[in-house]
Amino acid sequence: MHVKPSLALLALALTASPLCHAGDISGLARACDSCHGLNGVSVGPNMPSIGGLPEPYLKNLLQQWKSGERYAATMDRHVKGYSDDELAALATHYAKLPWVPVVQKADATVLAKGREATDRCETCHGVTGGEPDETDTPKLNGQWAQYMEMELLKYRTEAVKMPHKKMRNNAKKLDEADVAHAAQYYAAQPK
Amino acid sequence: MSQFNRRAFIKAALAAAPASAFLAVPKAHAGKKASIVVVGGGFGGATAAKYLKLMDPGLNVTLVERQKTYTSCPLSNEVISGHGKIEDLQRGYDGLVKRGINVIFDDATGIDAARKTVSLKGGRTLQYDALVLSPGIDFNYAAIAGYSEELANSSHPHAWKAGPQTLALKQKLHAMKDGETFVISVPPGPFRCPPGPYERASQVASYFKHHGMMKSKVLIADANDSFSKKGLFEQAWKRHYPGMIEWTAGAAGGKVVKFDAKSNTASSDFNDFKGAVVNIIPPHHAGAIAKNAGLTNEKGWCPVDMLTMESSKAKDIWIVGDACVHGELPVYAAPKSAHSAATQAKVAAGAIIAKLNGLPNPEPFFVNTCYSIAEVDWGFSVVHIYRVKDGKLVYIQEAGGISPVNIADEAQLKLQRKLSRNTPPAG
Repeated sequence: MHVKPSLALLALALTASPLCHAGDISGLARACDSCHGLNGVSVGPNMPSIGGLPEPYLKNLLQQWKSGERYAATMDRHVKGYSDDELAALATHYAKLPWVPVVQKADATVLAKGREATDRCETCHGVTGGEPDETDTPKLNGQWAQYMEMELLKYRTEAVKMPHKKMRNNAKKLDEADVAHAAQYYAAQPK
Repeated sequence: MSQFNRRAFIKAALAAAPASAFLAVPKAHAGKKASIVVVGGGFGGATAAKYLKLMDPGLNVTLVERQKTYTSCPLSNEVISGHGKIEDLQRGYDGLVKRGINVIFDDATGIDAARKTVSLKGGRTLQYDALVLSPGIDFNYAAIAGYSEELANSSHPHAWKAGPQTLALKQKLHAMKDGETFVISVPPGPFRCPPGPYERASQVASYFKHHGMMKSKVLIADANDSFSKKGLFEQAWKRHYPGMIEWTAGAAGGKVVKFDAKSNTASSDFNDFKGAVVNIIPPHHAGAIAKNAGLTNEKGWCPVDMLTMESSKAKDIWIVGDACVHGELPVYAAPKSAHSAATQAKVAAGAIIAKLNGLPNPEPFFVNTCYSIAEVDWGFSVVHIYRVKDGKLVYIQEAGGISPVNIADEAQLKLQRKLSRNTPPAG
């Protein structure tokens, strides 16, 4: 019997095909979405959005956790469950998705303080955090403030291992009160 | 079949006939849309419904749930202490409706696996091609003589399902006076949220501490001889609540078997635990609907195929979440957590779509991450990762485990605990 494929069936074939394609990573990515949100757009303030972050940045991050170069609350454990190829495929998968900023409001004073505090961040991350200069630099606009604050805390804590000397130095130069201001400033940027 | 061979097989099969694989097989799809019924709108059921529709928009997905507002159990211990608000843990089902899922607020009362129907209290009968059952837990009140559902719903909430009882327990805690005792009775495992009772003890102690009630105590009467994240909890208790939390193991007479509501005393065969507030967490089992449908084992939980989540007792029924037994080893079986439920639900969604379309089951990925909040800015976690090796579900030891307990550097220790302080699940 030959059935002419209807549009719905074609759609089914398209959506169902990742289920069984050998090299496909979407099944694993669905597991990541439990914390990072559907398509890597997080809905929890402690969890970063990851969809649309640059591929080299994501690849670096995953490998740094695996090798112990980068401190983490849990990700250093998670990455050890997957092969280098799987991690690379995950980075590619999320990098292809659109970056969807989750714009978080903050009051004008905080934003002004944050704008000033992020002066030194501008060269690499761009004025709003949305236009990083290099592909191994993450976007920060509309990223979750609480997550960014925690990340800055890691860079500022001498006792834990973190890569990127430049980032470490600049994070440490921030006044303690400005850590939250900087995070809230970037979190409030739509672009 | 080894994983490699299996993958090679799928690839070869698809390369040979990519279109026919979809067009020839699915009888349910050829004439009409396949109907999937999901019973239970918690983490497991809601996730299953969402991902079924995402992965195959052509499916007709119906979710049956009793309540219009869902309250998350994760983070609800912080509501009891007053550090969190219950409103922040509550969600409606509009999001699923917008995705094209039929949401029916009713009580699913019975399953006919032979006829493939689910009957509802409201009188309707739903026909399914595939059924996802995520019924959560029900309690065995009879295991604690003197305790009952009536007491749980009135004067002595267990608060092991988040909602009105969470607020009732909060109220009782907040009415306590310095020097009074809070008793928590822990049922034999497996139970929902393995670190939950100890997180609750921590949150109660946190309430005491933040309200200057330093003479008050928490007594944990435990049916078990050890517990989840024990080293991490004990370290936190020593640091934040020295002398305020006492744990009695099952072997030391901690297993509560009776309760006297008048004197507020929970008793094991050896000890009495008396308190101003006694929080009995009764032993539990899979939700009643699963039991009534004959889907449970002798211990009251639902056995499933480890790789697909399909019931071992009935075809075309997939069981996810706290109700199922997922994993064979007592130590490494997937814990009854919201995160486990969500990844199980996604695996079930993939397995259902594959089966409906006559395709091989996709490789399943199971993850659990669970955070416990012992004090403000003091949390820690456990990670479980399960993978398929040689056709079997395997716990990946090197990827799992708890947050490091001993950290010599004080700044590092504080940072580690602060990072895990409060992490709402996202779905």
